[in-house]
Amino acid sequence: MNPTTLNERPPSDAILTEIIRNGVLAVTEDMKTNLTRTAYNMIIYEALDFTVGLFTPEGDTVSIGLGLPMFIRGMSETVRAKVKHFGIENIKPGDILVTNDAYITGSHLNHFTFSLPIFHGGELTAFACCMAHWQDVGGQLGGVTTDIYAEGIQIPIVKYSREGVVNQDLVDIIAMNVRMPDRAMGDLRAQVTAVKTGERRFIELLERYGRDPVQRAIRAIMDQSERSARAATRGIPDGVYEATSFMDDDGVEVGNRIPIKVRVIVEGEEMTIDLTEVSRQVRGFYNSGETTGYACAQVAYKCITSPTDYPINEGSFRSLKVKLTPGTVVSAVKPAAMRWWMTFPMTIVDTIFKALEKAVPDRVIAGHHADLVVAQVHGINPSNGQFYIGNFGPLGGGWGAKASEDGMSATVCLNDGDTHNSPVEQIETKHPLIVEELSLRESSGGAGKYRGGLGIARTVRARASLTLNTTIERMHCRPWGLDGGGDGAGNEVWLKLDGREVRDLPNAKVLVQRLQAGDTFTLCSGGGGGFGDPRQRDPQAVAYDVAEGYVTAWEARTLYRVVLTADGGVDVAATQALRGRP
Amino acid sequence: MTGTNMRLAADIGGTFTDVAAFDQASGRLLLGKALSTPSQLVDGISEGVAKAGARFAEAGIFLHGSTIAINTMLERTGARTALITTQGFRDVYEIGRINRPDAYNLYFKKHDPLVRRSLRFEVPERITADGEVLTVLDEAAVTALADKLAGLGIEAVAIMFLHSYRNPSHEARAKVIVQQRLPDAFVSASHELSQEYREFERTSTVVANAYVGPRVSGYVTGIEHHIAADRFTGSFLLVQSTGGLYEAAEGKTQCIRMLESGPAAGVIGAQALSKATGLENAIAFDMGGTTAKAGVIYRGEPLTSSLALIGGYERALPIQTAMMDIFEVGTGGGSIAAVDASGALRVGPQSSGAEPGPACYGRGGKLPTVTDANLVLGRLGADSFLGGELKLDIGAARRAIDEHVGRPLGLSITEAADGILRIAATAMSYAVKGVSTERGLDAAAFPMIAYGGAGPLHAVQIAREIGTARVVIPRAPGHFCAFGMLFADLRYDFVRTWPVKLDALDFAAIEKVYGELEAQGRAALAKASARPSEVLTHRAADMRYVGQEHAVTVDLPLALFESADRDAIKRRFDAEHERRYGTSAPKEACEIVSLRATVTGRMPKPPLERVEMGGHDPSPAAQRGTRAVHFPDRIEPRATSVYSRDALLAGNRIAGPAIIEEHASTTVVFPGDTLTVDAFGNLVIEIGR
Repeated sequence: MNPTTLNERPPSDAILTEIIRNGVLAVTEDMKTNLTRTAYNMIIYEALDFTVGLFTPEGDTVSIGLGLPMFIRGMSETVRAKVKHFGIENIKPGDILVTNDAYITGSHLNHFTFSLPIFHGGELTAFACCMAHWQDVGGQLGGVTTDIYAEGIQIPIVKYSREGVVNQDLVDIIAMNVRMPDRAMGDLRAQVTAVKTGERRFIELLERYGRDPVQRAIRAIMDQSERSARAATRGIPDGVYEATSFMDDDGVEVGNRIPIKVRVIVEGEEMTIDLTEVSRQVRGFYNSGETTGYACAQVAYKCITSPTDYPINEGSFRSLKVKLTPGTVVSAVKPAAMRWWMTFPMTIVDTIFKALEKAVPDRVIAGHHADLVVAQVHGINPSNGQFYIGNFGPLGGGWGAKASEDGMSATVCLNDGDTHNSPVEQIETKHPLIVEELSLRESSGGAGKYRGGLGIARTVRARASLTLNTTIERMHCRPWGLDGGGDGAGNEVWLKLDGREVRDLPNAKVLVQRLQAGDTFTLCSGGGGGFGDPRQRDPQAVAYDVAEGYVTAWEARTLYRVVLTADGGVDVAATQALRGRP
Repeated sequence: MTGTNMRLAADIGGTFTDVAAFDQASGRLLLGKALSTPSQLVDGISEGVAKAGARFAEAGIFLHGSTIAINTMLERTGARTALITTQGFRDVYEIGRINRPDAYNLYFKKHDPLVRRSLRFEVPERITADGEVLTVLDEAAVTALADKLAGLGIEAVAIMFLHSYRNPSHEARAKVIVQQRLPDAFVSASHELSQEYREFERTSTVVANAYVGPRVSGYVTGIEHHIAADRFTGSFLLVQSTGGLYEAAEGKTQCIRMLESGPAAGVIGAQALSKATGLENAIAFDMGGTTAKAGVIYRGEPLTSSLALIGGYERALPIQTAMMDIFEVGTGGGSIAAVDASGALRVGPQSSGAEPGPACYGRGGKLPTVTDANLVLGRLGADSFLGGELKLDIGAARRAIDEHVGRPLGLSITEAADGILRIAATAMSYAVKGVSTERGLDAAAFPMIAYGGAGPLHAVQIAREIGTARVVIPRAPGHFCAFGMLFADLRYDFVRTWPVKLDALDFAAIEKVYGELEAQGRAALAKASARPSEVLTHRAADMRYVGQEHAVTVDLPLALFESADRDAIKRRFDAEHERRYGTSAPKEACEIVSLRATVTGRMPKPPLERVEMGGHDPSPAAQRGTRAVHFPDRIEPRATSVYSRDALLAGNRIAGPAIIEEHASTTVVFPGDTLTVDAFGNLVIEIGR
């Protein structure tokens, strides 16, 4: 629809830039709306495991609709790879390009990524893209995979649609290789709807304001974002900052800690994030591709320099350099197993914050639970005799404290953004399960002047036999505190099998475990790390935490050095004495 | 109804209390406006009624909408409330949905529960998704807990058990026990408000109801006393968030249902106007000082939703009840324009609010706002704002825009002001288009009915961006929500989660559920003090393809159930899916998630008042001369005729550009637009092509 015109004077550049900024945000929001509303699987609709975006013909990000914050880079690299593969001259109107190549998207095979070239006046002006997580792409069910071939069907860069004609052979091959083809095809249609929505809405903008002015405005938006990011970087003292952390293990070599070492170099208004010394790629499925290495750095950089600048665009990252070397856990090469790609990057981002604590303590955050804390169950539902895969979505857990605020409790991990958990009532309606408890984990937040957020415990009882898989990390390497703050509790898994409690698992990975009716499993997410010396915490805040059951009276006394009276108030004199100051 | 023939409506908003009265004897509409008095809201009603020249003693019916419930929630001035819930689940209310919408902001904050953890209690009991009792309610534990609550000075108690939508017996029993032990407390159980699954949303709903309950019920009782003292003997009805009416007595227990009564009444007014003027579809656009809101009339009916997020998306407390589907657009007259450090011009979301207000109010505001831009461009008159009661300082507006926008961007004051309004208009148009996409509608095909103090000022500019062909400015746009109440019906909405595959649907079983829901509605109507002229029932179901998560609400005529026509139900679902999402899968199986029933008691409606017929040209009495006004087509201003709305007559035609002024609002007509005054005094503007 052409808006009515008034022979309007073209707006001045500053005005048009803001109009187009709102405009491209609206384009990606509309894409997102149409994707979530038409998707078939919960991982897209509830967990928002997708990202949509607009890109320049070169693959530069114009606007991303989240989605998955950690996929900040995935589509941009995928567009570049597609253009390189076909050659720009061989991309035609009516084409829709697709791939799920894990080494291009940097993630796992579940991420089917569609790109539609947007032509206007015969010229390629942009790409509309949509990545979304399919619930099943074939491959081994449960357990730990050790190469990509076990993880499902691989689709190289191909055309799903060639000048408007759908490649039915491709669709048939995909349908034959996935466990729930109807749902997969439903999600495929939703993704095509999303990229077509992007095309329609972007062309509306081009028609309304003209192609050249819109492209000029897009460049101006990127320049503005660049200026913001550079200004924020200038506020960081120059220096080389390093930090190291560890992952528990790769699920294959149990107990073999995996080092994550990062180096951040700040020079004037530029930052280099060096990830060359993170662990080499591992045998278990915790690897991700180079694209995700870039994403780790971009996510950390955005959080620190321009967290609320939208749209997310290329300009915000021009002042960031990323160093990677092939063959690490975030630049893995074929045939590295990638299925659980999202886990390590969260800890890498947290480690970048840890490195920058000395430089900008008020912009960083203590460690968080850094894992989806998901369990996948599958079995036969006795009510209808059908095979099901039950996925609760991420559990949510504790976030780290900051220099001036407590950490958030019960909030989804960094990989995810506007992701929702699955309601208990919804899960119990669909699957033969009973949730016995969903609660905050008391005392799980790290102590500090500002306390870490609390994790969650959820206990689920099987009503019929089923198979359980969890691949949870960071049980042993717990969310760290900063500036003297204490560590939060780690992520944990407990089982109750035939009435017997099992809490001494070597890690929080439970693979292909059969549960009989009546058995339970409990997922516990970690708490966030604390920030600052707990003995400096406001005693009234400690008394409140005890009254609310977030912290025990024992911890108040031993960690926070606060003495409470019988009615729960602060015993000021005794507290002062215990804290050793007047 | 009593023998009196006045219908009175009062809408209490943040700043003003608006009164509309319809006198059946004379056929006249009376209007009054008074400042809301936060400490004594009832006084504002009396003053507004007096200003309208109406009297309670003459009224047979009093309709009322108020911000009391939502303000109590947002300002956190509710009762000391406790929550009783299923063992193992007291933290559901604090955990919420775990989402982080502001994904890169490490200082993100989630929702803040209305009841702290130490006042959330668990009792042993458990019901399954099928409604079976897995663990019997421990009544002794409830009794002991109630006694403990008495000692804690609890004023309100919310009760929420898992799967109570499927089997409410435990909640009902616990409520009886708590009421016995705590006779003075306000006690609310979740199934009374929502019988739809999703435990966090239902918990949040029942807690909010309990939390606002004592204050809202006291407020309603206060009005009852007040109007009784004014010798009112008629029916006192409240407006719900659906725009439907319910008895004042029901408002004292189901308080949360009146959360959005004012905005919903505006949409009801828009519906009445659409009907009278033959519009099937319309966007109801309400813009005030801090936000703009929009609702949708589709095929003669307002779109409703079953969930509202109160307090902004990021920190929202959800309310899971039937609501008018109204979306906020985030820009109002007070939205501040600012150039940020990167050189980008932003309009909003910061607002100057009523205090200090726009720079031109002269109350200490120094930052330029949308209102200042309107003044600088001549679209608002400095001496005609609120009938001249508030003189606007154009110099202050110019200085603010020059200092904060013009000079930083190298733009003239006029260009800067013009830019601010373009950005505001495009942002609002994107929002309206976005939400219509979400509903599978094309906003451009819908005429826009614009009201609220600032709606008529911006309507034609926003309409251009959306592609709207026609804008309607109702009479007294500043009183439109009170006006809308006069057209509301009694209405009871019910929903029950009842998952079943369509193939396996047992029509007798579903009839029983609908029957129960509808019987509740009919019983409520039978008890109502106001006599509806007709009772209508309406059925719908939330449906989805098997495997999908998200369900869409599909209207299902009664006849489909009488004929047990499974295929027709499927076809309606496919068609609705196609309409909303542009895709459908007729070959795939579908399922029902929740059943919805609405019982409506039709109330007699006042006819729309007609205005005197005039000639083609406005009479000299309507002409207020000209002033220089800037429009987006050129830098130089145009000498633009200004008209007095009160003196316009039916049939008058005005070619844009033009400005139409009335007491609480100004309508802007762009060059190329054509305005016609219709038989009811509405300004119908055809957007120029």
